Amino acid sequence: MPSSISHSDAHKAELRGVREGALPAGLRQTAANRPGQAQPVPTRDIPTQPWVKIGAAVFVAVTLLMTAWEWNARTNLGLRAGDLDDSSQAWAEQRRLADAAPVAIVGDSRILFDTDLARFQQMTGVRPIQTAIVGSNARALLESYANDPNFHGLLIVGLADLSYFRPQGVGLGGPYLKNFEKNDKPSQLTALWIDRFLQRYLAFMDSDYRLSRLLPRLDHGWRKGVDSPYEDVWKLSETFDHRQTFMWHRIETPGYLQKHARYAWNLFKGPPLPAFIARNVVARSAEAVRRIRARGGDVVFIRPPSAPELRAVEDGRLPRSKGWDLLIAGTHAQGIHADDLPQAQRLVVPEWSHLSRKCATVFTDAYVRKLIQLTPRLKLRADAPPPLSRADCVPQTIASL
Amino acid sequence: MIFNSLTFLVFFAMVMAIHYAPFFSWHQKKINLMIASYLFYAAWNPPFVILLWISTVVDWWAAQWMVRAKRERTRKLWMLTSVIVNLGMLGYFKYGGFLLNNFVTIAGSLGIIYHPPGWDIVLPVGISFYTFATLSYTLDVYLRRSKPAGHFLDYALFVTFFPHLVAGPIMRPTELVPQFEMPRRATANQIFFGLALLTLGLFQKVVLADGFLAPVVEAVYDAPGKMPGMLDSWVATLAFAGQIFCDFAGYSTSAIGVALCLGFAMPDNFRFPYGAVGFSDFWRRWHITLSSWLRDYLYIPLGGNRHGQARTYAALMGTMLLGGLWHGANWTFVVWGGLHGLYLSIERWLKARFKGFTPGRVSMLGLALLTFLLVNITWVFFRARTFAGAGVVLRGMAGMQAKPDLLIPFGPMIIAMVIVSAIFGTHLTMRNTTLEAVVERTPSVAIAGIWTLLLFAVIIEQGQGSAFIYFAF
Repeated sequence: MPSSISHSDAHKAELRGVREGALPAGLRQTAANRPGQAQPVPTRDIPTQPWVKIGAAVFVAVTLLMTAWEWNARTNLGLRAGDLDDSSQAWAEQRRLADAAPVAIVGDSRILFDTDLARFQQMTGVRPIQTAIVGSNARALLESYANDPNFHGLLIVGLADLSYFRPQGVGLGGPYLKNFEKNDKPSQLTALWIDRFLQRYLAFMDSDYRLSRLLPRLDHGWRKGVDSPYEDVWKLSETFDHRQTFMWHRIETPGYLQKHARYAWNLFKGPPLPAFIARNVVARSAEAVRRIRARGGDVVFIRPPSAPELRAVEDGRLPRSKGWDLLIAGTHAQGIHADDLPQAQRLVVPEWSHLSRKCATVFTDAYVRKLIQLTPRLKLRADAPPPLSRADCVPQTIASL
Repeated sequence: MIFNSLTFLVFFAMVMAIHYAPFFSWHQKKINLMIASYLFYAAWNPPFVILLWISTVVDWWAAQWMVRAKRERTRKLWMLTSVIVNLGMLGYFKYGGFLLNNFVTIAGSLGIIYHPPGWDIVLPVGISFYTFATLSYTLDVYLRRSKPAGHFLDYALFVTFFPHLVAGPIMRPTELVPQFEMPRRATANQIFFGLALLTLGLFQKVVLADGFLAPVVEAVYDAPGKMPGMLDSWVATLAFAGQIFCDFAGYSTSAIGVALCLGFAMPDNFRFPYGAVGFSDFWRRWHITLSSWLRDYLYIPLGGNRHGQARTYAALMGTMLLGGLWHGANWTFVVWGGLHGLYLSIERWLKARFKGFTPGRVSMLGLALLTFLLVNITWVFFRARTFAGAGVVLRGMAGMQAKPDLLIPFGPMIIAMVIVSAIFGTHLTMRNTTLEAVVERTPSVAIAGIWTLLLFAVIIEQGQGSAFIYFAF
């Protein structure tokens, strides 16, 4: 009987398993060559090479390449260390906090980019939990909170009309929302912490500038009838602690990236939305609002601004009277539309859909002041900063126009 | 924890530092490795460590009692205990929902309406792998192929040793336990070559599989309601062939590299499988540790080729069908296995029919291409998850979509096809050699250059930490 496990019966050399120098072809056998028997200690042959010198050379070369890549990221691409990127784990981290929070925000990228959490806190003493998701449907997030018996706070639902009034099943929060409670495994949490630590010092660590994102963008629509990666939405924002997200400074500057970002909103073009979609969306929203209120929570809808160029497209497909107004009436919830906030008029919307960083603070200031009037859950602090206006964020040359 | 995560890199650096610290005895080092392995596993889902303990303890004692048993019947009883406990755990966690759904369907077809409560059981990572690893221990002892391990610590470390724990290679105790018996210390060459293998594995997984191939596959396979045409269907399926190879072989290569850095040898799990000529050749090259496990503990006990033609074909089909089911609790995996069983059976029949046939160079190339082509057909069922989805892609591949949707942009399509062609070409040219032999013949400067590029690509790809496909099995 073979007794491979027994040390006493085996030669020590055979037990080593590792052999310096590559074995000639055909001599390194696998279990495939030894049917029906106990498999011996496998042999791993180490090719004869100056591995230590090679390793040292690789270390030096990779360090140099990384230095060059980091330099390129900072100087040519305009990426900045401290931009923490977003991820399903980062979202799940905030979502778990939301259960005990007095105020949480859901929505698509507009309320995500256009809310200055620090300003909110300065004014009310409450820092809302930011759980809006880029490219998502705020309705799916609203329903997820409605289904969460632990949430009793105020839910701010930020929406872009064409995003919110989508057919059921489209843009539902994707991997962020799906089984988010499973995104708290020890390995996921440690990966998040290490990733954040590195991103505070390295600018090139940006998911929008990964190798596999950059190369396919060379395709400028080479195959007719298919959206090329070039036409996708590229990097628009920077993310900081607590998922505070602002517009990326390069998008605020006129140029190639700003034009590309505007071009991407062609995605919004299309025929007018059928009335039944709005009816369904309002009905589902009303049910979600009812459930949150039944638990002692509350819901406020907010519609951040968009630039006239995009607004024309949005109104063409779903005018305010057939979308927003029906939603507020149908859900019996409070709503704050950017059109109704005097301080939020003619703000800077560099790529037509999201506010500039400074104007996000102005818009936050404006909607929080209105919010305080609409709900007893928030109070203006005695030491709250004075109101902001368009002049605080619009460059003087433009403001005077 | 997965190899392509920052957590693992920190973990591995700490394990290496502790493993090579001068103040630990070999016994203590083994305990350290076992603790590290438990941490590695618990990082995913701590409670499931209990399953590892159950598997370890039950199989250890089953083997101990088996050798002490005087009567054959008692030996068999202990073997069956081990099999039932291991397959029971596997069945409960992996196949419980599947069995329940099928039961409901069958009952429904008989007019019995049954609404069971939802089966919301989380699949413990790697359960299929460590279950098979520990089963091979008791089965080898039962079949008198080997003696039980001499020390519980060595055996427990064999079960939990983190490089192979969650996605293989599926190791046999006879391959690993002896390595724990004497102090091991990797040389500098071993460590650096191990790191090179780890880099290669991560490059396959992070850059090729996740970065460039997965999006092309998803554009077709995860596009509900779309009808891909011939080009898109073939490109997506070929890309999946590349993705599944890079994903799984990438994991195995990383695992081998990690173990090597710690001074341990792990077996090859892939030998340039897409360079295979025929399906028996393919299965000697693809997931070798699983195919040999199925051969040794299923095909041969089912009779193998010792009881006539009909029994041989039945054993072959049975083995491959169960092998398919091992990959996932879904009938599409069974069909995937069944197709491979069918291919193997046809090949066996043809070999018997044309005994004297020796293919020339051109025939070999043609047969390799045919093998690759037919393997790709099976991947459709492996990837599609549903028969409806598989049908859509297969109709597309056959050019039977009346109004096909264009789904894959040209740029990613070209990149994917370059990668897949490179994989196929590499496998074909290297089918009779080993990576080590080729590396030995390559100038050092070229190796340094290639290693640099691979590592740099891994770093600037900044993997998103997506799990290896085989973790789900």
